[in-house]
Amino acid sequence: MSGCGAVVGGVSLDNVDITNQAVIQGVISSGDVPASVGYARLLDRNDEFVAEVPISKQGEFRFFTVAGDWTVVALVPGANSRTPVQATIGKVLDVDIAVSK
Amino acid sequence: MSNQALVDAEWALAHLDDAKVVFIEVDEDTEAYAGNHVKNAIALNWKTDLQDPVRRDFVNKEQFEALLSAKGVSNDDTVVLYGGNNNWFAAYAYWYFKLYGHGDVRLLDGGRKKWELDGRELVSEVPSRAATKYVAKEQDRSIRAFREDVLKAIGTQNLVDVRSPDEYAGRLLAPAHLPQEAARIGGHIPTAANIPWSKAANEDGSFKSIDELKALYEGAGVDLKKDTIAYCRIGERSAHSWFVLHELLGVKNVSNYDGSWTEYGSLVGVPVAVGDEPGSA
Repeated sequence: MSGCGAVVGGVSLDNVDITNQAVIQGVISSGDVPASVGYARLLDRNDEFVAEVPISKQGEFRFFTVAGDWTVVALVPGANSRTPVQATIGKVLDVDIAVSK
Repeated sequence: MSNQALVDAEWALAHLDDAKVVFIEVDEDTEAYAGNHVKNAIALNWKTDLQDPVRRDFVNKEQFEALLSAKGVSNDDTVVLYGGNNNWFAAYAYWYFKLYGHGDVRLLDGGRKKWELDGRELVSEVPSRAATKYVAKEQDRSIRAFREDVLKAIGTQNLVDVRSPDEYAGRLLAPAHLPQEAARIGGHIPTAANIPWSKAANEDGSFKSIDELKALYEGAGVDLKKDTIAYCRIGERSAHSWFVLHELLGVKNVSNYDGSWTEYGSLVGVPVAVGDEPGSA
């Protein structure tokens, strides 16, 4: 039984069948460099929490979801930002987010 | 928020060097702990330390005693739990410590996330604690629900599904930080209300105020005079909601169904509801 724990930076795409899901991934940067400490949070169309991952040391995050409208919230010490995205089944959507403090 | 079960960063900072206060970081893996952690904290791994290596169940009383003895935890220590994932696994461990009758156990508000976002110190040194002779109590079954309890509760008691609305409705089969599973059906236990765990937490992972938490459950129409069973996917998010109800709001007749949707959604012949409405018994 695997748990619900979030993997730093998001679960690898290796060995994941993405034909039946929509992938939202990207990099959070702060001051023109990747943020090394922070979190990426995914909200649904009603702004309800869906998932959250600690970003990697390179600012990376990844979510697995279904088609639709979502919002990625970047949380870094002292700042945050919201980025609306539209995901599609079978596609990997790359979203780069710049957060200014 | 003032509550014996919950401590804030200021309280933690004042007790980091207190030998009778044991800080324990709990996560599904201990990669984060290995990188850095709160000073003098030890680690517990949700899977390898707290789950039976063969069956799907907890470690038994003797195994739990051996674990805490080896970790250097005494029965009269104050145990302060914190972790990532908005304290999901720390809340699970809190419930687990209560299940085995530990006297003084607390949760660090906001867990690792708030500590990090507030820019507080994390260290890499791993403390050594002398082994103890920890003695656990028998499991307190009043706070743990099994599938038979859940089936009896349909339409008669409160069932609270604390997963996200999309998981509740069956549109998602797992939290969206995990690949979506294909083998299990989606949906929820009929008559369960959907009160996501996240509604009890602020963005930094700390708990909302007592008044806000009361309003959350009262506003959802849950009659807390009835027995309540909380569940999620594997029982750790619902441990977070159990903590809110049982420890912060003082509602005593609340249990956590740790089998949760990964068990219920795989059972043959049980009723299942899909969509955004609770459904009928």
